[in-house]
Amino acid sequence: MRTKCLAWTLIAPTALFVLAMTVLPLGYSLVTSFEEFRLGRPPVFTGLQNFHKLLQDTNFHSSLVTTLIFSVVATGVEFVLGLALALLLKEEFPFHGVIRSSLIIPMVIAPVVVGIIWRLLYNADVGLFSFVMQALTGESVSVLSSTVLALPALILVDIWEWTPFMFLILLAGIQSLPQEPFEAARVDGASSWNVFVHLTLPMLRPVILVAVLIRALDAFTVFDQVFVLTQGGPGTATEVATLMIYKTAFRFSQFGYGAAMAVALGVLVACFSTAVTRAFRGSV
Amino acid sequence: MIRRQFLRDSLGAATATALAGCGNKDQRVQLTFGSYADPGLDILKDEFLPEFEKTTGIGTEWVEADFSGWLQKALNDGETKAGAFDIYVMDDLWVPRFAGARYLANLDELGFQTDEDFLTPALDLGYWPPKTGLRQPGIDPKAKPILYSLPLVSDVQLLFYRRDIFGDSPPSTWDDISRVARQKSNPAKRQYGWVTRGVKGNPIMNSFFVLLHDFGGTEFGENWKVTFNSPQAVEALEFYLSLLPYEPEGIAEFDSDQEGETLLQGNAFAATIWTGWCRQTDDPIRSRVVNKIGFAVPPRKVNRVAKLGLFMAGIAAAAPHKTEALEFLKWFSRSDIQIRFARAGGIPFKMSAFKDQEARRSSRWLDAILGAMTLGIPSPRTSDWSKVEDILGTELNRALLDKGNARQHLDAAAAEATAFLKSAGYHAD
Repeated sequence: MRTKCLAWTLIAPTALFVLAMTVLPLGYSLVTSFEEFRLGRPPVFTGLQNFHKLLQDTNFHSSLVTTLIFSVVATGVEFVLGLALALLLKEEFPFHGVIRSSLIIPMVIAPVVVGIIWRLLYNADVGLFSFVMQALTGESVSVLSSTVLALPALILVDIWEWTPFMFLILLAGIQSLPQEPFEAARVDGASSWNVFVHLTLPMLRPVILVAVLIRALDAFTVFDQVFVLTQGGPGTATEVATLMIYKTAFRFSQFGYGAAMAVALGVLVACFSTAVTRAFRGSV
Repeated sequence: MIRRQFLRDSLGAATATALAGCGNKDQRVQLTFGSYADPGLDILKDEFLPEFEKTTGIGTEWVEADFSGWLQKALNDGETKAGAFDIYVMDDLWVPRFAGARYLANLDELGFQTDEDFLTPALDLGYWPPKTGLRQPGIDPKAKPILYSLPLVSDVQLLFYRRDIFGDSPPSTWDDISRVARQKSNPAKRQYGWVTRGVKGNPIMNSFFVLLHDFGGTEFGENWKVTFNSPQAVEALEFYLSLLPYEPEGIAEFDSDQEGETLLQGNAFAATIWTGWCRQTDDPIRSRVVNKIGFAVPPRKVNRVAKLGLFMAGIAAAAPHKTEALEFLKWFSRSDIQIRFARAGGIPFKMSAFKDQEARRSSRWLDAILGAMTLGIPSPRTSDWSKVEDILGTELNRALLDKGNARQHLDAAAAEATAFLKSAGYHAD
């Protein structure tokens, strides 16, 4: 009994901290999503009105689709590249430490700074990208002004910044795999491809699940790069859900509606995570 | 024994240090300013706040964030009445939101007295409800305007033009701008007749605003009926789009920084830019067109207007040091301080400072700013303008990408804005 009491006492500060920092704000957001809450006026409970409005808000639907495309493509490409790099660099070789360390540089740069760097690279007048395109095709390309190119350009920035994250997790996973099955496969004369498909991938599946989930959840809430690079434009080509939530709450002062958007995004992300987790579990 | 002695001595030393620290602690009142980062505020921060401290004995602390970050902090402070800040530095566009939500203290009640030396268009921005024009739904049409904030730094969009291209007299009409752009632009040599902001939302709207009004258009008519798709507005947008061939590639992604840099690097002949860029044009480190840029009120079509965008200061309703905050506002708006502010390179908000010979000599753009301030009009005074601006700014950006379809885009924006305004309680018919 005394031990139990001590355990609760020791855990209480952390539990209270978590409650105050995560559960309460989440609960408050949920409550706000059922209210008409505008600056300077007391919040008024309006039931499901905000969610009803959301169902008819084509701009929000479009932002969810953009977010989904961004997240799925960025996470997918980052996974493939990260895995390829991890397989390539898993062995010891001269300067492997330096090379591995330099690969993670993009990840440690603040997202806003990344946005500024790429804004310069994409600049139609003096940017590197436009310069190369002009040398190759004779015409400059205005990447961020193009409704076709702007979203892929943002995805490329995310891939550049976050592929190292995938690489690190997958490399750690690969290096922690038991060596016996691989040695047995080699003795049996299995090809590299067969070893990869039938041993490495299945054994790495739990690590892949974690890496993909973490990156996907992060990609769903992308904000900084979009804010710095395009502000959701041109038109609404890169208007992701988080940007729309931010604008609705803080620029347009519609806190209730913004909270409803955030709740909807949260539900979408939860559904996506569940689907991914089930897909991975199902294939084990 | 030695260890006990060591612990005792250490404890004694730590306590003595702590007490000494307490004793030395500055006991004077500390006034906390919250602001967004902007070079236009540097002179105030670096030269005038230290002087205020020295003169009054009141300490100051300047807390700043980027524009959006500060808006969030300020809204949070205002809503929760936390009292973390004494003075909010605001974009003039924020005044309807902050005053309407009662985040600001009533300066009339606190005893602030205005005088005749204030520039009227600048001072009027601090009142809520607005002294003139439409009033937001829910506000008594007969309610007396109350002073909630004061100008801090004047800012207005000027026409920046190249004197080596246009000559010493500024282009007086939009047709002059168009004609010179057509005749002298040379995109192959990166010489552009015009440069503007094209990013969706506020940036492109800031650029279009002057054209809209100069061509005789407005944002709203009676009862907040949307009028920015009127024939005059369509003509204004068509003119705006007609300048595209004489502008840099990728203008749809240009914000004020790229617009200003294009001009400073000698690649553009003219632009309507905020006054914060004036000083940089003559800075050889930043500019390749030192002394080649002239400043004037934006050109005329049917009307001649300039867009106001002042830095305002208001005392937080929950400010812990209201008296001292009021003292700062009184001190900084004194005419003699404003004259010295102008002489130091700041953009004042009092007529005497604009007329001061020494200030005019050191800042050759002051006359143009005064002219523009006199003709200046602000964004519509409603806390919902940001949403309407976003809707219109998105369609303007689309028109830029289409390089046409002005009417179609303005109609689309008008329909969406009308629906929004009606849902927010405006009559809008």
